[in-house]
Formats: sequence, structure tokens, C-alpha cells
Amino acid sequence: MSITINIWINEERLAKLQKAGLAEMAQEVLAGLKVLKVPCTEEQKDKVLKVFPTAKYDSATTRSIELLPREVKDKIFDKVVEKQSLDIMEDFLKDY
Amino acid sequence: MNHIGHGNKEIVERVIAPEEAARAIKGLTPVPVSNQIANEIIDIAYGFFTPLEGFMTRADVDRVCKEMRLANGVLWSIPIVFDMSSEEINEKGIKEGDKILLTFQNQPMAILEVEEIFAYDKQEMAQRVYGTTEEKHPGVARTYRYKDKFLGGKITLVNPPKINPPFEEFFFTPRQMRQKFAEKGWQRIVAHQTRNVPHTGHEWLMKGSWLQAHGELPVEKTITGVLVNAIIGEKRKGDYIDEAIVLCHDVLRKAGYFREDVHMTSITLWDMRYAGPREAVFHAILRTNLGLTHHMFGRDHAGVGTYYDPYDAHRIFDQIPEADLRIKPVRVLEWWYCPVCAEVTYSGLCGHIKERQNFSGTLIRSIIQDGVKPPRLIFRPEVFDLIMECAEKYGFGDAFVTDRYLKERNPVFVLPEMKY
Ligand SMILES: [Zn+2]
Repeated sequence: MSITINIWINEERLAKLQKAGLAEMAQEVLAGLKVLKVPCTEEQKDKVLKVFPTAKYDSATTRSIELLPREVKDKIFDKVVEKQSLDIMEDFLKDY
Repeated sequence: MNHIGHGNKEIVERVIAPEEAARAIKGLTPVPVSNQIANEIIDIAYGFFTPLEGFMTRADVDRVCKEMRLANGVLWSIPIVFDMSSEEINEKGIKEGDKILLTFQNQPMAILEVEEIFAYDKQEMAQRVYGTTEEKHPGVARTYRYKDKFLGGKITLVNPPKINPPFEEFFFTPRQMRQKFAEKGWQRIVAHQTRNVPHTGHEWLMKGSWLQAHGELPVEKTITGVLVNAIIGEKRKGDYIDEAIVLCHDVLRKAGYFREDVHMTSITLWDMRYAGPREAVFHAILRTNLGLTHHMFGRDHAGVGTYYDPYDAHRIFDQIPEADLRIKPVRVLEWWYCPVCAEVTYSGLCGHIKERQNFSGTLIRSIIQDGVKPPRLIFRPEVFDLIMECAEKYGFGDAFVTDRYLKERNPVFVLPEMKY
């Protein structure tokens, strides 16, 4: 299981995904939630935690980076839509 | 009523009546205390820390650090100390044998009978209690923040605190709590320690531990209960606000996820030390004094970062002789969501290891922050709605602690005005 950033799909994000024809990209988890699981390498994880100090990495239970500010997650989400790919963290982190 | 607490000692209560109090404090040197110390004064005075009658002297601290016992041999895991700087001690001319008046919120609070003034190596204390001297461990940081001297001696509460709403209906002293359990007819009570708004993983931890604690007893009458005991103390930015934690636990019963006669919510004032296994022992002691018979310990109880193995807090109880603790640990594994079972299920039972989906409080928070309402199997809608209500009512629009909340929140308790 690799490290991920979970982008939870609210209505606004779902509309954007559908418009881009990417609705299939979201997986369904936890009894009905839609999520984009954006993968991160170990180094990318460290950088995310450094750049966004509110973020927390849950190494024990979920192996995910949580509590990124909503705006940051919106930006990551937009990048996914723009690149039509989940593999965007390297590109995303260039700006930081 | 049974008033026997930890160490087989009668529940301590060191509170004097108001008329006597006014006389007793006359002429004593006032010393203002921190939030942490004020909480601990309340804990000592009402017997949450039985058999302690005051702040520890050196012999207690030393044996607690080195052997996890008080000087008298009773099991104890965390030093309870009153710190003061040498300068302040000199300035106020405080010496052993004096009585001083501890004040909080500019009001008299308690008398401390100064039995001993001593120093203790804080690094040694940190290493023994927390297993590390790293300052990024919050318990170690708290230890290092202590001033250079400690004052040991008995304390007596002279001005009982008034607990503010919405907490007042959840605060019970150990004697009151035991009374409450007697009224409910509960013979076994299992503790759920919390600093969190409950998701269904927590709900199932409680339900599972209720079943475990109830064990072989007959089932026609309710004689086993779950006590949620929320730890209320120092807050960090990003934690759930206290009001949401307590009220959201209580709503699980009000909304029927627990029967009215099996569940109860309560608070204890304590600044978490995150001491992992040692804190687990401390929590067991605390809840023994509250009159509980069982204590649930989940994964990584009271841990922080990667300082402790997730099940260190289970294993420590293997090393404690049964006679030293009047409460039984209920050790549990995680609950997870399994899409195959299509339910939240116990990891000790479900075999769908590959398909399982773990969730945590942090994960739920990130779902909520993304503007998504979690499904009811994961998070109860009544809890979700109440979080939003608490954010408006108590959190200045936020369910999580902000700078503003830290500065402007209504205090959990106030000390009534008292002349001195
Ligand atoms: Zn399963």
C-alpha cells in the first residue's frame, strides 16, 4: 500500500470530474464515499508535511496524508483534472 | 456505598467548608498556579488521584520514576508535582513547614502544606516516564517546562470550582460517580477514554468492550454500563473543541445508538501526558477511583508519534500483579470497515485482510473538511449535525480549536469570588 492523499469527492468536485469525463477515476470506499487516492512517494510526503504544517501523516492506520487545507486539496484536485491523471504530485510540488 | 479506591485506600476528599475556609486562609502567602496545577488540585482534592493527598514529595517522585510505585509501595505511573522557581520561593520566603495559599483566576483555591522543597533531574524524569528525552514528545516538553524546584505536601481545596455549562452535567467527583452507578444498579462499568468526537469505530469499541466486560453475567437486567470519560485539559490547535467531544458522545445515547440504561458521559480534568503504557496505567488508576471495574484499551492508547508500540499499553498490564489494581484491563484490537462483510467489523474476527478499509478520527476530519458528509455506517448523522451546531455555538464557527477559541472560550470551570 503506497502513501496517498485522499481527495474526498464533494458535489462540486464530482461535477468537475463528470464534466471532464473522469468520474471513473474516483473509487468508492467506506460504505459510499467517493475518493481520489493521489499517490505520494516517501520524499513527496516529507515535502508536503514540511510545506503544509497543518497536515498530518497517519503512518499507523491509513497511510495517508490528512488535514491539508481545503484550498490545497482543491489545487491538487484541479491538477488531477488538468493532467487527467492521479500521478501529479511531482508536478504539483514544483510550485513549492 | 463502597468508597474504596486505588491502593485499597478510602477515596480521598480534602475540601473544607466555606466558613472554615475563610479562617484557614487568613494571612497565608498567595501563590498563583497554572491551569495544569489547578486541574490537578481539583483531582487531588476530590479523590480522582486517591491515595494521593497532595503533590508528591521527592521519595514518591523518585520511586514512581524508577519503579512505577509510590514510596508506600502503591502502583503509580506518572509524577504529580507542583513546580516553582527558586526565585519565587526566595522572594516569597517560602520554606518547608509553611502553609501557602494557591490561587487561580485571582481567587483563593487551595492550601498547600509545604512538606518538602526539592529538585529533581528533569531529563531523568522524562527518560523514566516517557522512555525518551526528546523535546518533541509533548509529555517530555511539559516536564522540561517545569520550573527548577518542586513543592511536595498535602493540599486542601478551600474554594470549590463551579463547572460551567455545557460541562456541569458531566462532572462527577469519585464519590458522586459511585453514587450514580449505585442508582443505575451497575455492577460492572467499563471505561472508554476519549479526546475525540466519536465515529462508529469508537462506538463499536465501546459496544465490544461492554460485551467483554459483561461476560458471564445474566442478561435480563442491565447491570453493566459504559462510562465515557472525556479528558478535558490543555488544548492544541486543530483538536476538536471540548464541547463537541462531550456533547457528541452524549448524543450517541440520546439518539439511541446506546440504550438509555447502559451508557453515560462524564469528564475528568487532566492534561494528557501522552505517556503511552504509563499513561494507560494512570488512566486505570483514575477510573478505579471513579468506581469502574473495567477499562478498555485500544490500539496505541495515549500514545504519540512512534514512541510506543501500538500494543505497549496492553502489554504493560501483563507485568502488573493483579492485586495491585482494582480494575480489569479490557484489551481490544481495531474495528474497521469491510466492504465484503458490508459493515464495521472487528479485526479480530473479519478475515478480509486485503479488502479491509481502516478509518480514523483524522481521516473523518479530513472528509468533513473537504465538505463531505460521511456515510452513517462510518459516522452518525446526529453526531455530524451536532458538530456543526457546536462549531457555531462554542467554537466561533469552527469545530476545531483555533487561536480565537484558545483565547476567548468560556472556561470549563470558574472559582467563585472569595475574600481573603
Ligand atoms: Zn470482512
